[in-house]
Parts: sequence; structure tokens; C-alpha cells
Amino acid sequence: MIRCLIYIDPNETESSLDLIEAARQLHGDSFEVTGVLCSALDQPLPNVFDRLAVVAYPESGCVDPAQVVDTMQAMHWKDKYQSILIPATHFGRMLAPRLAMLLGTGLVADITQIRRKDDVVEVIRPAYSGSLMACIRYVGEGPMMMSVRPNVFRDMVKEERAMRIMPMQPRTSGGGIERIEVKPKQISYDIRESDVLVSGGGGAAKSFAKIERLAELLGGKASASRKLVDAGIAPRSIQVGQSGKTVSPELYIALGINGAIQHIEGIKQAKHIISVNINKDAPLTSLSDIVVEGDADRFLDQLIRRIQQYQQSE
Amino acid sequence: MKLICLVKFVPDVGSAKYDFERHTLIRDSAHLQLNPDDVCAVAFALKIKARHPETIVEAVTMASARVTPNMEDLLRIGVDCGVILSDPAFAGSDTFATTRVLGRYLSRQDFSYLLTGTHSIDGDTSHIPAQLGALLNLSQMSGVQKIDESLLGQGIARFDVESEQEITTYQMRKPCILSLTRESGYKLPYASRANLEKDFSAQIQVVSNADLGFLPEEVGLTGSKTRVVETYVKRLEQREQRTVRADESGVEYVFRFLTDKGFI
Repeated sequence: MIRCLIYIDPNETESSLDLIEAARQLHGDSFEVTGVLCSALDQPLPNVFDRLAVVAYPESGCVDPAQVVDTMQAMHWKDKYQSILIPATHFGRMLAPRLAMLLGTGLVADITQIRRKDDVVEVIRPAYSGSLMACIRYVGEGPMMMSVRPNVFRDMVKEERAMRIMPMQPRTSGGGIERIEVKPKQISYDIRESDVLVSGGGGAAKSFAKIERLAELLGGKASASRKLVDAGIAPRSIQVGQSGKTVSPELYIALGINGAIQHIEGIKQAKHIISVNINKDAPLTSLSDIVVEGDADRFLDQLIRRIQQYQQSE
Repeated sequence: MKLICLVKFVPDVGSAKYDFERHTLIRDSAHLQLNPDDVCAVAFALKIKARHPETIVEAVTMASARVTPNMEDLLRIGVDCGVILSDPAFAGSDTFATTRVLGRYLSRQDFSYLLTGTHSIDGDTSHIPAQLGALLNLSQMSGVQKIDESLLGQGIARFDVESEQEITTYQMRKPCILSLTRESGYKLPYASRANLEKDFSAQIQVVSNADLGFLPEEVGLTGSKTRVVETYVKRLEQREQRTVRADESGVEYVFRFLTDKGFI
């Protein structure tokens, strides 16, 4: 039986469960999937794993990837997984390379697609800052390891499985990382949870306040392309794309965004896309339901005014 | 205290060319810059050195000798020595093979803290710092922002990592790996006028495979665990589409679309 191991990030449970679909695309319909959970959850997980290893770390879970690596390495030695899938979260991105190095196996980061060619698995990820898609094969014995971009394999039906809970003791009690303090941040929103996103790029660098205004009028949130984040105009937490977030809103309005592949990968699951650009042939426009050819700032002024007029007349 | 900054000079995204036959980036074709997250790692090290002049700052990179002028620029702003791990045998290494090369060099060095960036803007895998952590058996943390300078001398790295909802303060003991992000905001100092014209080539050491002693199958393309087999420019799925202008009628069309779909 083909075996797959999935790390469940307690801060990103939904994204972690999506990896079961990634495993299905990797192995076909017949495989056994084991989840690893190193922290208590507020809500129980649905029965979507064959086995769930619950590792008894004290209190609030484990903060040191090296400890989780020890546990997962021991599980692999015992059960010999064909694939190990880890969500590309902050913790997952530290965990996956550590584990791959110790297992002496290949790791592909941030994959967005899985395919088979001549019965060989190929995984695909954007490369070189979105100028290309790279298709990668694993060399050697395996297991195949990958970190998977959150939200990419979303909304696919998960098969119910007879989930057997396996309590486990952590392999190491030590670990070199201590958590000293956690302070909540005052302002924060998650663009992945918003049904409407109004997003600015290089062509709307001076219009971010208006972008936020339009987002507010549409009951959504503002987001940004890498260009605006790198320019310090928008925080990284609202960046859409490869180094930012993959989103799947009902409506995505892109203002002055050309659409590097990474950005396009980040929004391709949006239901409706409207893009405003002085270049009507910019890459992103090909994904759009409506292309508005023209200046983003001027468009924002006019649309905001039109919506306000409508709301006043109501 | 010795600080080693692990850096990467990355192609300026717009000017890089790609070899579609060999599936590798033609690094020689692009203008190089210090990776933005790595800038913060070097800047932080130099900030410590400015406060405590006895601190030694070494910059290490794995690259072709073409990066020598870029490395000299780091010496010009105060880095004490630059090491370039360079050998034709290393060419084509994936992150696994690259970590092997860097790891063997670093395992022979004595340092308190290894400072790196979190992401590199070309590959964007963020693998190397964590893989080095595994190989060298050191604690490693990505996304590091504010580091408490007062504790470093006592062998303690205390620092903040910011996520969506919270700021977490962590602590690790030396030696350890701190991977900074550009949000940390550490800025490089300027070169002094005297240093602008100075020749720093004597402070740059090139380390080859003759020094590190890898078998050919351990590094480079053959030592890699992943292989790029194809690259392509993505073809986009065409949607049914209407193009309008950013004028009154165009805005009205968008407005109607938004009301019809229930967004307004």
C-alpha cells in the first residue's frame, strides 16, 4: 500500500487538510494517509485521515521544527512513506527542509500543481520570480517531499476515512528554541478570508488609499502585488502571489497589476476578475472577465463616485 | 564574537536570461544585487560591529567568481572578509547539494551566529538556512525581525517573529542560525570615502572543491535530489471577456457588472 505522511499545521488546519487532495493527485485513489498533529486543536479534525498521530507536546504545542523533525523522521523509518507533504506555512517552511536534509531526499517548495508524465511524478512551481513555471522531478530513492502552497488544492471533496488515533510521545524533550512571549497584533486581517479583494500594483502606487476606500465600499479588503510591498506602500501580510498568499475570492479587482506568473498563480481561483491597466494586453488581463483599459487612479475616482451616488440615491 | 553572514547575489529579476535547453538560469546575463533579505542580515552584523568593534564579520557565498566585485562592495562597507565557494563541480546544485557545500565549509568555522536572509528572490524556496540547521545540528528560525542586541554577547539570541495575528518573541542559544526578513528594516551603512577606492581583493578568499573534497557525484547536478525537467511560460486560460475604457461608459459597465453579481 502506498503511504503518505502529512504534517498538520495547527495554525493552518484547513490548508493542511487540503494536502490530502494533493496526495490523491500524487498517488491516485488508493493510498493510506497519516496525519501528524503536534498541538491541541480548538476543534476536532474531520475523519479524513486513515491514521492520526497525536504527539504529546506540553501545553501550547511545539515551537521548534527540529523536535517535529525528530518525530517525523522516526515515523518514516518505521513506516516508510512514499511521500511527505507539508503546508508551506512559516513553520512548515522551516520544517520541510530540515526533514528533507536528514532523510537525504529531494524537496520541492511551494508547489502549485502535480502531474504525471510517462508514469513519473512531476511537480510544478513558479520559478525565477514568476517569469517561468518549473517542472521538477525527484531523483533518488525518496520519499518525495514537497511543501504545498496553502489554498491551491482548496474546495475539493475529501473522502471520509476510518481515522485511527495514535498517541505518540515526542522523540526529543530538548530543542534549542524557546518561546518567550506572544503579543497579539492590533490591526490584522486575512486577505484569504475576504470574498472581495481590491488589489493594487505598480500602476496604482499612488492610489492605495483609494484602493482601500473601494474595498470598503464593496465590503472587501485591500491587497497588493509584490511591487507595492517591496516599495513599502503595503504590508507583506496583504501580498498576493508566490511569496504572498493564494486567494480565492468571489471578486478580484486588479488595479495597475501586470500579473507576473506568481501573482496569477495566487489569484487563478478567483471567481470574477476585473483588471484595470493602461496596457490591455498585460498578462493578467487574459484571466479577466472585464478588462478596463486606462489609468487606475482615474478609474478608482470614477467608480468610487458612481457607487457613492448609487448608495446616496438608495 | 564572530558573525558569519550567508549571502546570495541574485539576478536582478528583469534582466535575467534563462537557458531553456539546460534548464538553468544564465546568471552571467543578469545584473547582480545582494538578495534583499540578506541585506538585512549583513546590515545587522555591521550594526553589531559598529557597537562592538572587536566583532568579526565574515560574508560567505556560493557562486561563480563573477560575484567578486559584489563581495568587494561588502568589504567596502565594513565586512572583514569575504569567502566565495566556487568550483565548476558545484554548478547546477539544487538546494540539497548547495547545503552540502555550504555546510562543509561552515562546519570548519568557529562562529557565534550565522545570519542569513529568509527568502531569496530568485529561487524563493527558503530551504538553505533550515537545511543547514539540520546538517550542522543548529537551531534555526526564519522570519526574524527585531533582535535584542544586548543579549548576543551573553550567547543568547532573543528576537521577534511577526505573523498575521501576533508578534512572538523567541530565544535560542549560540551557535544558531538567524534568518532575517526585509521587514526587519536593518539598513546597510555607506562606505567611507577612504574605502571607496581601496583594493579589497586580498580579503577575499575563493574556496574550491580542492579545499572541500567532494566526490563529483555528491555535488552539482549529479549530487542533486531534484531536477528541473521542463520550464515553460504559462499559457493562461482565456475567460469570456469584455474590454472597456476607463471612461464614463466603461465605469458604468463595471458598475452594472458589480450590481448584477450582487457585489453592490
